[in-house]
Amino acid sequence: MKLKRAPMFAVMALCLVVQGAIARINYPVWEKNYSPRIGSDLRGLSGDQLLIALAGFREMVAGILWVRADTYFDEGNYDAILPVIRLVTMLDPKQIDVYATGMWHIAYNFTDEQNRSDRRYIPSALALGEEGARNNSYTYELFFETGWLWYHKIDDDYDNAVKWWEQANEVKDMQAARKNILAMALLRDGKLMEAAEHYQSLLDKAEVEFNKNPTEYQNRQNRDTIESNLDNTLVRMAQRGNFALLGGYYDEWNYDTKPPYDVGFSAQVVVEDSRVLRVEGTWNVQPVGTRVRITLRDADNPNGVPAGMKWDRSDTVDLDPEKDVTFMQDALFVKNQSFYRRIDMSRDPVMYPFTTDKYYVEFYYNPRSGPPHIQDRFGFNGEGMTDSNFLNTEIRNGQRVVYCRLELTRDQLLRTGEWSTKTPVVKTKNFVPTGARTADDIIDVPGMRSDTGN
Amino acid sequence: MNVILSIAKTTIGEAIRRRVLLIILLIGVLFLVIAPGLSVLSARSSYTVLVSFTLGVIQLTSAVIAIVLTVYLLPNEVERRTIYTILSKPVYRWQFLLGKYLGAVGALGLMMALMTGILVLVFKIMQAEAGMDVVMTLARAPMMYFVQMSLLAAVAMFFSTFASPIVNFFLTGGVYLVGTLFSPVFQDIAGNNSVNAMVKTAATVIHTLVPNFAQFNVQNTIINSGSQLRSEQMYYLQMVAYAIAYVAVFLIGGMMIFDRKEV
Repeated sequence: MKLKRAPMFAVMALCLVVQGAIARINYPVWEKNYSPRIGSDLRGLSGDQLLIALAGFREMVAGILWVRADTYFDEGNYDAILPVIRLVTMLDPKQIDVYATGMWHIAYNFTDEQNRSDRRYIPSALALGEEGARNNSYTYELFFETGWLWYHKIDDDYDNAVKWWEQANEVKDMQAARKNILAMALLRDGKLMEAAEHYQSLLDKAEVEFNKNPTEYQNRQNRDTIESNLDNTLVRMAQRGNFALLGGYYDEWNYDTKPPYDVGFSAQVVVEDSRVLRVEGTWNVQPVGTRVRITLRDADNPNGVPAGMKWDRSDTVDLDPEKDVTFMQDALFVKNQSFYRRIDMSRDPVMYPFTTDKYYVEFYYNPRSGPPHIQDRFGFNGEGMTDSNFLNTEIRNGQRVVYCRLELTRDQLLRTGEWSTKTPVVKTKNFVPTGARTADDIIDVPGMRSDTGN
Repeated sequence: MNVILSIAKTTIGEAIRRRVLLIILLIGVLFLVIAPGLSVLSARSSYTVLVSFTLGVIQLTSAVIAIVLTVYLLPNEVERRTIYTILSKPVYRWQFLLGKYLGAVGALGLMMALMTGILVLVFKIMQAEAGMDVVMTLARAPMMYFVQMSLLAAVAMFFSTFASPIVNFFLTGGVYLVGTLFSPVFQDIAGNNSVNAMVKTAATVIHTLVPNFAQFNVQNTIINSGSQLRSEQMYYLQMVAYAIAYVAVFLIGGMMIFDRKEV
């Protein structure tokens, strides 16, 4: 008996339609979705991809994988991107974009529910940048990107940003417009004269280019930008007394940084609930724009430094962060001469494992990373800033910073043991309650004739 | 039904006696056993490497077994002329084809079960502190691979009704590669509004017609703790339904061709 073709075709067509319909069902798949675009599927790295790679199609597979990583990124499936990045850079170490995007992704995009980065990934991001720069030393790009990570993300230890950008400047293809940024890093690193000299040397070269072709708009813009930057730097150095400091006559004249202004720092940390902190305090500076860094870290972590970590401690790219380390960093925005923030770490137990017994809560303010209008008063190195309780000249070489450290135990942070019924409160001796406030407080903007003295 | 089951049973018996399949299986098992030593190949931690590598081995080995096993099923019967003996009895051709397919899937299931058993054993030795829940999580990927390989076997069965084994091997392998490696690329193109309309249409057609084998790769949720399925049951159910619909398409197509084929 032969099969009847028509009904068989009909069933076959129906099955085709059914599979097509099933394939298009789009329901929320991922439990942890960072992306605004919901809807995803489950395609991952598979053995056959590896097989083709080993068969000699490395670059092709690297390219396909990178397309996949891009899709993962759109989907918000960030965890799946990590092995892809690593595999692509292993298959094709000349993929500069993968290195650059990869290190940015690792350093910036793993965040908790309140958008704080998981900084335990930073050593891996730096190691990836170093590896990329080593493999692609013919171009400035990865030297530049690694320097940017130090300058912008770590926002401390600026000598490292200087080191990387000096290397970037030595590579032939470094863009003229980007060479400016080395001077900014030098300023933040406290090397003011070197910054001015760097601007001057760039200006000399820009003048030559401009004179060769004065009608070229880019040449004119580049020269004008450098000139403006150099002017600003020299004026600021003069007004903030830096030339006087270098010349040894700082005490003889009045400068914007005199007398040192007392910022009146005080703080209190209340453990409202398990892994939930309420932080408030005072910062006696009227203009808006100050962000006081707060960190919480294991007291006994050998890689810990005051208000930070030894970020460049890793020589290898290990994409799994140290799972037993707790490190939280946030910025306290100051308005109306005080700050207030609720830090909720309860929804991210993987990022904040709290495995050790003792923790430091640290407050840190360094004028070098402040905006120019604050630096005008406080100076590049904090010459114009003081604090009767928390001025510190030791934790950052050659700088006057505000640093305060409070201690909490694991029981206090997790509200266990004797702290299950009591509310832990730690505060500085000078803390005075500033009254109830909310994140919606109206900001009092001082007038031009404000007599607050700052 | 009895006829189909009898043919399936015989096929399983034949399959597990075939040396070439046993050798492929042995290679797969060997890789599983040495897997813990290969963690040096990756920058990730040993657990991640162990899981991803062993699951990769199971998937690759299963794919090779599924293809090699199925491409020879019909041609061997014709070549050895045993098909005449069977078809001279009250057995319809579609019953014969269905029985052969179910036998192939059964044999595949047995071999995959063996590999999964070894995977669990290796894992229990290497990660002694892991509980049963972790092991059960690990076993979910091979289950989805089994569904994936059943679909692959249906593809090979369809091609075997009109192509020689060698041609079939490459055809099926090609479909598998396109469905695994390139399906996501086609899907991306199909969903990208900035792509030329004609290219987009072509990508949509290919993406709809070629089975998307990549969707069965659930290892990411197992390897990366950060990514989890919101509704596992729903997803697995969807994938099984998708596979059944596709298997039906290929088997019906195969039956129609085989029904009118000169043997």
